[in-house]
Amino acid sequence: MWVERRASAFDLFNYAIMAVMSACFLYPVVMTLALSFSDADQLGNATVGIWPVGYSLNAYRLLLSDDRILRFYLNTINYAGTGTLIMLISTSMMAYPLTFRDFRGGKLVSILLVISLFFSGGLVPTYLVVLRLGLVDTMWSLVLPPAISAFNVMIFRTFFANIPASLRESASIDGAGHFTVLGRIIIPLSKPLLATFALYTAVMFWNDFFWSLIFLRDQDKQPIQLFLRRILVLLDFRDVENSTILEVIQNISSRTVKGAAVIITITPILCVYPFLQKYFTKGMMIGAIKA
Amino acid sequence: MSTSNVERGITSIESLGTSVHEKGSWWRYVRRNPALYVMLLPGLLNLLLFKYLPMWGIVIGFQQFHPALGVLGSKWVGFKHYIDFFNDPYFFRLVRNTLLLGVYTLAFSFPAPIVLALLLNEVRSIGFKRVTQTISYMPYFISTVVVIGLLREFTSPNDGIVNAAIAALGGERIPFFLRPLWFPPLYVISGIWAQIGFSSIIYLAAMANINPELYESAVIDGARRFRQVWHITIPSILPVIVILFILAVGGILATDFQKILLMYSPFTYETADVISTYIYRVGIESEGSNFSYATAVGVFTALISLIFLIITNRVAKSMSETSLW
Repeated sequence: MWVERRASAFDLFNYAIMAVMSACFLYPVVMTLALSFSDADQLGNATVGIWPVGYSLNAYRLLLSDDRILRFYLNTINYAGTGTLIMLISTSMMAYPLTFRDFRGGKLVSILLVISLFFSGGLVPTYLVVLRLGLVDTMWSLVLPPAISAFNVMIFRTFFANIPASLRESASIDGAGHFTVLGRIIIPLSKPLLATFALYTAVMFWNDFFWSLIFLRDQDKQPIQLFLRRILVLLDFRDVENSTILEVIQNISSRTVKGAAVIITITPILCVYPFLQKYFTKGMMIGAIKA
Repeated sequence: MSTSNVERGITSIESLGTSVHEKGSWWRYVRRNPALYVMLLPGLLNLLLFKYLPMWGIVIGFQQFHPALGVLGSKWVGFKHYIDFFNDPYFFRLVRNTLLLGVYTLAFSFPAPIVLALLLNEVRSIGFKRVTQTISYMPYFISTVVVIGLLREFTSPNDGIVNAAIAALGGERIPFFLRPLWFPPLYVISGIWAQIGFSSIIYLAAMANINPELYESAVIDGARRFRQVWHITIPSILPVIVILFILAVGGILATDFQKILLMYSPFTYETADVISTYIYRVGIESEGSNFSYATAVGVFTALISLIFLIITNRVAKSMSETSLW
């Protein structure tokens, strides 16, 4: 810092505001955690503060041992993993040729990309295209349409172009083709970029409910967010009530199940993002310069 | 073996290293670098199928589109759907709600991350700052379904903490999600909660690039903290603010309709139903979807958005010399 000073009244005020704000961000999650561990019998309609009312693992036991709910969860992992991988590979492959200044056809591709940035067919035509291609009720309806975004391709291109040309040339002396250069040199040198975009994309797929809602009618293919939508928003507990193990576990309430379902869905992402935080700013900066 | 490797090496050098200076015919370039075009293929195919084909699909807004007949076989009706939209009994309500939510978002959700970034930038303890930042990013990673689910839980008339507080203070419990009056504040507040931390990153990054010497000389000149913020920090990040503001105004009609779908119900349509949710209901959700009408409404909205973007860009250009293009 430029000048060392004692804490002023403003500093105290500022710390207080930040602390209150952090509490506002954390409280809903803490409350949900408390709710999920609460004992259904003691809970009733009581308001949960920050501690569980009673203690019980029944909600988790139900969710984690029910085949259907487990399948929703595995579907989510599958879609997020596949979607992210496809996005990273296709975006890298599209960005790489564009880094060569004399690449024939590069201008045309850039124009096609920029147009897609400003104009879109909108919801209904996009829906109809996916419908017509016969992708409904397959995971391709979710993972293919968002795989290429002009914005991502441009950022990848800028990042790749900043890798010294001497590195690419030294590889070509060893007889490496374009695919080898991309796979062995460009990709390993772009790890921060790839990590940032992998995180954004994975989060996008993990949290999506809308596209699965319109494209996946078969319940067995649905991701966890649609299950969450049913129990949190539509207050439809048929998934839970039809659970095969409900007879085994008594003493369970819709509220504790809601809490536990939220916790098992958000935990993986909340555990990962703090470690990738240093990359956000970098990613944002690259994006901002380009945009 | 070794000869072929050497040969491959030589062609690679030509194609990778010296290609920048080379002037040859199109065909020769493609023959030399087939791999580059193979790489381009998946992305290009994706662009054509999922971006350009839907753009071409806009023509069904001028047709009485029937899936069985296809785009080429359906009847052309000109601007019928556009005129129908202006005469739609919900037209006024949809436009009003869309604009109002857009204006509320611009008024409250846009400045919030700037204020947060300014305050965070003044936090002296680096550890405290880092922890606060990490916590503030968290809501961004929570899905809309969960955010709205938690909001419903909080505001539930029976067991929600908000109503518990209201009851404790002697007030009457409010069924927030059934009251049209409460929809806009819930929409805006949940949006700020989810976005403020993450949106502040870009402003913090801009602040990190400010030359520290500016502050040093300000201190020598006797400038206090507020004056430093006012005369150095804010002017330094102003270009970023202006550009994001232009984009925000351009997106004023782009309500977070996925969130609204999770929040609204016929009880709150009066304030919650916006153009995009209407497009969804008419074009996709309802039996016997009216694809053409929904598409026309979408095109109309996109055009208005584009006009907003162009006007704001003009105004910003003339006032601050910062603009998108």
